[in-house]
Order: sequence, then structure tokens, then C-alpha cells
Amino acid sequence: MTNKKRINNKQKLIAALPIAALLILFAVFLAVVNMNDYRLDMYLKIVFNEALVLAVVATGAIFIYTLGTFDISLGASTLFAATMGVMTYNYTQSLALMILVIFAVGITASLLNSVLASVFHIPAFVTTVAMMSVLSALSAQIITSFGGALGGISIPSEVIKPFDNVGFKAALLIIFFVVCFFVFQFTKAGRRMKFVGGNPLCAELTGIKQSKYTIIAFVMAGIGIGLGAFLTLCYTPSVTTTTASSIGMNIFIAIVFGGMPISGGARSKIYAALIGGFSYILLNDILEIVIDSSAAYGITQVISAVFFLAVVYVTSMNYRTALLPR
Amino acid sequence: MNKKLTRAVGLVMAGAMTLMAGCGNAAPAASGDAQTTAATEETKETAAPSGDAKKIGVLVADVSGEEALGFRNYYEKYIQGNYDVTFDYTDALASAEDEKAAIEKFASKGYDAIISLSSSDRAQQIETCEEYGLYYAIASGVLDDEQYEKYKGYEHFVCQIGPSNATEFEAGKAMGEYFKNQGVKKVALYGAFIPNPMHVFRAAGVLVGLGCTYGDANDMGAVVGQIFQDQGIDPTKVSGDVELVAYLQGYGDTTTDELNAAIQKAPEAFLSVGMATTFFAQTLSQENIPFADIDSFTAMNSQSMESGSLKYLAGKYSSSIGPVFALVVDAVDGNVIRDDEGNAVSLNQGYLVATDKASFDEYFVNDNGDTPIYDKETLDGIIGSQVTYQDVKSLVESK
Repeated sequence: MTNKKRINNKQKLIAALPIAALLILFAVFLAVVNMNDYRLDMYLKIVFNEALVLAVVATGAIFIYTLGTFDISLGASTLFAATMGVMTYNYTQSLALMILVIFAVGITASLLNSVLASVFHIPAFVTTVAMMSVLSALSAQIITSFGGALGGISIPSEVIKPFDNVGFKAALLIIFFVVCFFVFQFTKAGRRMKFVGGNPLCAELTGIKQSKYTIIAFVMAGIGIGLGAFLTLCYTPSVTTTTASSIGMNIFIAIVFGGMPISGGARSKIYAALIGGFSYILLNDILEIVIDSSAAYGITQVISAVFFLAVVYVTSMNYRTALLPR
Repeated sequence: MNKKLTRAVGLVMAGAMTLMAGCGNAAPAASGDAQTTAATEETKETAAPSGDAKKIGVLVADVSGEEALGFRNYYEKYIQGNYDVTFDYTDALASAEDEKAAIEKFASKGYDAIISLSSSDRAQQIETCEEYGLYYAIASGVLDDEQYEKYKGYEHFVCQIGPSNATEFEAGKAMGEYFKNQGVKKVALYGAFIPNPMHVFRAAGVLVGLGCTYGDANDMGAVVGQIFQDQGIDPTKVSGDVELVAYLQGYGDTTTDELNAAIQKAPEAFLSVGMATTFFAQTLSQENIPFADIDSFTAMNSQSMESGSLKYLAGKYSSSIGPVFALVVDAVDGNVIRDDEGNAVSLNQGYLVATDKASFDEYFVNDNGDTPIYDKETLDGIIGSQVTYQDVKSLVESK
């Protein structure tokens, strides 16, 4: 076997690892749930609900990560979109308007990041840090002002109840994923984003405008934010200052778990968020069941951290080759 | 390329650090103090539940506060040791989504009931428990009137026993009045975690008790409304006989500086609406500034009361959550107790006030011994198939 072939095989093997890891985690999950005599149907629903918003927002965020940058304001944007959605419903009693506002706010918030980055010529992730603070503060102001003694704002649960079922949510996830997959794999924009992420200077010299693709990437992420905010409300029709608080960093972890190179570029994978999101939640739930609850949180985090570093190490082996990605 | 590598390494480090940072948060929850943990372990060994032990899930948001640890110790050490029951505590629940997921997990594990010490979205908790057929009780805080009206008829909503918002306000007001009557003219105020509703009501009460107005208002509704609006207390809006020389809230990087700035203004008393002992007792003691708090009868507060730095404590005692357990057991056994109108039980629990070591020990020492205020003998009086609402009401009001 030639050296080139060996490297190719190794790359393919490493690329398949995240899927293998997801399958193994799922098998372990089934085993521990059965061993403990827990209701499998209910636990599967729990895992799905826990991973859903993460997977949706992270899938949108893949476009940003492909450019070699990242967005730390995704959680705050989701919170803000959900907040504005609830406020809209409470003022208008219109579900359609609420959904419209959620998506509009999600896209606008995300777009603002890229526009600010373009105007001030600073890295996009810097603007997202500022945006995270602004959106969190705005949401907190609205929630505490209108939530009063309840500590949160909400819409009547019966309004959103029809959408809180696995079938509907799974359909939304699949549709969104298919759209993202198409844009990412089969359009000029998707290919150019990978080029920009892989080598911005070379892309610029080829005539590709980085700012244009940054804006497209953030719009896609904004759609993910809107959908994530809507699905968050489907699960719990109330918004508090801590809603979606963990999403920002969990997205980063999920994407890495899914085998996405953190430097972006041509090796970026649109399915990384989906695989990584479910893998991360499965891992957490397995550890939570297996380890005694009083100590689970700390140990879970340590094991997740070790797992995280191991995944990054293994996937980075793919970069250590003179061969271009294929 | 180097820049890219640096960014990649930075991102990995950030991710790993974030994951590992979580470990620190859990340490106090997992360990509590050594005594608590040892006692818990001992209880687990000595009182291993039988196969048909009742299983109760406990939702918690605060896993490290003295009050939270006291509650946990009472359930896991005393109650679990005396009844055939297993308590399973959640990690610190940060949001309404976390609360719902935790309830669903308890349901899938076949638990009988949920006791809630977490309040991100109580309405959602009740609806989720109803959906899964889990009995539900609130052991810390209460629903607001509108929510109670909506959910009081739910089949699985058992009870809420704790201080109402009005009681929180009155607790703050009594504290303010105490210091005003002592002739104090300059105070510093710690608003704890405003806009947490409980702390908002307490802080509003303190201002009113001191004889102050806030934004020219001095009634509960108006003052509370403005504090929610301001998300804190603006000292420039406070006027009255007692001067508010400093105000701080929350706990973070700037808290020490804010506390030092407050001390520089030489307040005659430092009034807190929660957790002052945990954060400030040592500094205030060193500076000889007397302080007051609305917290719990705990070991740390006992030390501060003994040293003389803690002058006033309005607190709960650890076994105050005993009646909630009793009503949940009754419900699981088939006796779902209802009030005279057929609704879920809603009883107000007041605060006990200590202003010296003797009065403090009256509640603290007794409650932490082998016979807590709500001991087995007392609780047995409200556990059983013949227990009525009046029995429960009489007992709770007598304590």
C-alpha cells in the first residue's frame, strides 16, 4: 500500500470515528437504561428534547465555524429571540406573528454581528463577545421588568402544546438539516465558505469577498437561532434570564465532538453538529445514570473534558498530513 | 498558519477549561461540609430503603448555600433515617428547561413524587408533574396568587408550605423597624440576588421598615414594582429618616471593592436580605460593623451571633420542610389532603427571629439535634390515612 493510500485510509477512518462514537454511546445508553429498569421510551424522548435545540442551533453555527471563526453569543441570541417572541405573543395573541418575530430577531441579531465585524474590520468573534453582553442584558431587563414576582415571562402552555411532540420537532430538525446540507454541500456559497475558512488570503486573491460569505454564514446561523428559540418555547413556554444559557459553549463542544475541525475550512462537516449534539447529550445522560447523583456533576464534567481533549487530539491527526483534503 | 494554530489551541483550551470549570461549582454541593457528608453516608448505610421505599425527587437550584445544605441534611439524614423513603437530589438546576428535564427523568425512573426547592418556572413544574402523574409539592417559596388559583385544583399538586411574598416583605420590614428603633441613622444594604422575587420583597420591606420611601412610595406593591423595574435599589431614590449610604447586590468580581466602599462610608449597620454570612461575615466582624440577615439557623450564623457581629437574624430552620414531606407521603399512600374548598394545601410559614445567642440557640440547637422541631413524633401526627387539612394547618401554625 502506498503512503498516499495509507494516509487516505487513515483520514477516512478518523472521519468515521464520530459516527462510530455516537453509535457506541447509544448502545451504552440503551444498556444502562435497561439495566436500571428505567422507562426507555421516556428516556429517549428526554435525550431527544435535550439535544434538539443544541443540534439545531449548532447546525446553523457550522457555517460560522467553517469560516474559521466562532460565535459565543448564540445562547444570548436564542434567549433574546425567545424573549421577543413571548412579548409579541402577549401583546398580539398571534402565534404566527410570534414565530415571525422569533426568526426576524434571531436573524437580525446574528446579522448584526457580521455587519459590525465588516464595518469595524474586526474579527467576527470579537463582535459576538460584545453582542452576548448586550443581548443578555436586554433580555434580563425585559424579563425582570415584565416577569415581576414570577421571575420570568411566559405564554399560555396550551398555545404551544400542539407543537410539543417528537414528530413535529423531528420534522423541523430534518427540514432544517436538509436545507443546511444543500447550501453547504451543493451551492457556490457553501464551497466558498470552506475556501475562505481554509485560506482567507488565497480566497481574497481569487476574488472571493470574505465579508459577503461572513454575512451569509451568520444569516444561516440566525435561522438556526430562530428555530432553536421556537423549539425552546415548545418545550417550556416560559423564558427566564437563564433560558438557553448553556447553549453557547455547548455548541462549541458538540461541534468538536462531531468531528468538525475547529479551524474550519475544507474539512468542515455540516453533520458534525447533529452527531456531536446527540453524542454530547448521550454521554452526559449515561454518566448521570451511572454515577451517584451527589457526585455526578463534577465527575461528569471531568470525564467530558477528557473525552473532549481526546476527540480533538484524534481529529487533529487528520491535519498532520501533507495531503490536501479530499 | 501560526495564527490559525494559535486560535485553534486557544479554542481547545477555552472549551476544556469551561468543561472543567463546572467541577468547582459542584464541590460544595457534593461535599457540603464534612459532617454533613459523613452523616449522609452513615444514613445511607443504616437506613437502606426497602424494595417498596417511596422515591422522592428533589429539584434544587441552590446546592451550596447554608440553608440548602441544612434542608438536604434534614431530609437525607433525619427523614431518610426514620422513614422508608429515598430522596434523590438534582444538580443545580439553572433554567426552566433543566427543571422539566429533571422531572421527566424522575418520572422515567419510576419516582413517586417531586419536592421543589427550585423556582425557575413553577407553573411548568406543576404541569409536567401532572402530565406524568407525579405528586408535586413546593417546599421553598410559594406560587403567586394568580398561579395558585390556576393550579390549585390539579390532581397531583399536593401543597405549598413556605413564606409567601407578603411574609418576605414583612420579614424585611421587621428587620428595618428593629434597627430604626435602635436609633440607627446610617445603613448599608445588601440586596442579595435581586431581581430574585424573594429578595426584592425582602429589600422592599427593609426600606419601608426603616421608614424610608423609594421613589416617593412606601407601600409594598409600589416599592416592589420599582425595584423590579430598576433591577436593584437606586440609593438616590431612597429618602427618609435613615440614610442609605451604600447599596450592593449579587456576588462577583467587584463585590469586595463594593463592600470596602460601603465600609468606608461608616454605616452603623449592614442590613442584608440573604447570604450575608456566607459572603461578608468575616469582613464585617473585623470592621466591627453589626449586621443583620434573613437566612437560616445555621452553624455559620451561630458563630456570628456568638461573636456579636450578627445582631438580627430572621431565619428558617432546617426541619421547616418536614410538613411538606408528610403531605407528600400521605398523597403517595392515597390520602391526598385538600383544604376546606377541596384545593391543594397552601400554608404560610413565618420567619423566626433571633437577636441574641440565647434566642438563636433556641431554634438552632434544638433543630439540629436528634429531635428536630419537626421530629418523627411530630410528623407522625400528620402522616396517615385519617389525617385532615385541619390537623396539618394546626401543626404548621403552632410552630
